[in-house]
Amino acid sequence: MITLKTRWLIFSGLFIIVTLSYILKISMVSQPSPQVEKSFDYLETLPESTIIMVSFDHEASALPEIQPISLALLRHAFKNNLRIVGLSLFAEGTAIGYRLLNKTAGELGKKYGQDYVFLGFKPQHIAAILGMGESIKDVFPEDYIGNRSDTIPLMMSVSNYDDIDIVISFADGDRTVYWIEYAGPRYGQQVMAGLTAAMITSYDPYLASGQLYSVVGGLRGAAEYENLLGKTGKGNRSMPAQTSAHLYVIALIIAGNIIYFRNRSRQGRG
Amino acid sequence: MQTRVPLLICLVFGIIMFLQYFSAHPVARAIYQTVTNDWWQVIFAFTLIVGVAGYARITLKKLGQGRDVPYSLVALGGLVLMPVLALIGGTKINSPFMWAFENMLAPMQATVFSLLAFFVASASFRGFRARSIPATILLLTALIVLIGRLPLAEMISQYLPKATFWIKDYPSMAARRAILIGIGLGSMATALRVILGIERTYLKGE
Repeated sequence: MITLKTRWLIFSGLFIIVTLSYILKISMVSQPSPQVEKSFDYLETLPESTIIMVSFDHEASALPEIQPISLALLRHAFKNNLRIVGLSLFAEGTAIGYRLLNKTAGELGKKYGQDYVFLGFKPQHIAAILGMGESIKDVFPEDYIGNRSDTIPLMMSVSNYDDIDIVISFADGDRTVYWIEYAGPRYGQQVMAGLTAAMITSYDPYLASGQLYSVVGGLRGAAEYENLLGKTGKGNRSMPAQTSAHLYVIALIIAGNIIYFRNRSRQGRG
Repeated sequence: MQTRVPLLICLVFGIIMFLQYFSAHPVARAIYQTVTNDWWQVIFAFTLIVGVAGYARITLKKLGQGRDVPYSLVALGGLVLMPVLALIGGTKINSPFMWAFENMLAPMQATVFSLLAFFVASASFRGFRARSIPATILLLTALIVLIGRLPLAEMISQYLPKATFWIKDYPSMAARRAILIGIGLGSMATALRVILGIERTYLKGE
């Protein structure tokens, strides 16, 4: 039975290790995984002015992990002069998405309405995904800040998924699955995902079947993408903290098992 | 009558939505767009009302009984405050509603999520034990995947990341596929049962 004192020691250890990792600024470079390379190469080879859709399908709780991924991909898209239609199928992703789009667009001098637009949130994600296959402007008659969609220059060249090259869904749960299952088979829409590390394995069958084009997953995925982009950001900065926390957990598992086997052999002798 | 009307609605709409999938006729398209863009949203709005009313009733009942009073007050306060803020200043950027969202809800959610790391650390110490052969296999697999996903893995051994990908691509994938196929077949069977009126539990209420 774990005592309260042991629990506090474990908690304090984790706190100290993560804090030190941030303070000491250790540099960690990892080789880009095939999935990250595939995602990067896809955006890299798209012709200028291609329209992509970015959906912020996550809660605020996943922000530390999702934000580095979305920042890296948005920077890459804007850098290559791709045009972005942003939206959210998760109420909590709305303000986050709008802020991230404005931030990255500001860094690269992009204009709202011409280079990017944010349509806001639509409840009932399945209905919204299916509806956009027919007409995006019917599903979003106004953008997030209240402009009529049919008056926005970028939206004038967007009717439905036929005008969208790829949908990138940033998700901390299963919302990307709906993009894959509803926008994919019915409208032939290609989907890419930016996921929290815990969700990556859930999407493996879709990756293997080709229904999901590629995945940038977790902080490591973000760090790898940043390295390919040549601009380090939150992904790289957070990697030492995540790595040290993982090593700490491994050490705890080993320590727990040593104690378990020692106690068992003592009981056996007794 | 109380049962037959919902069953009939379910049957008619189930069949229409199933058949329209295979048709590109303008009428089929129009029905599909009306159902997905308008009706679905309206029904969803009504389910929200039912949900909020139900939650408020349960919380008020708890307050009346004197159970979890501080928590119930905070819950009810949030339930009232957010719609009031939305009604006063809208839900667009820089509105009081978004201020409350960004400065109250988001940090609270992030805090709760961050606590998970501490519980994982504690659980890994007391729960992850090699008590039996299956538990040992699980433990070793978890350790390989955990170490293999670290940036340091390549420095330890070039085979570690490969082993991680192998576990992810074969045993894990096989299990996931089996689950997904099971879910798919189950969903189809349940949908058919609901459309044909065999499955009626959704009509029973409390």
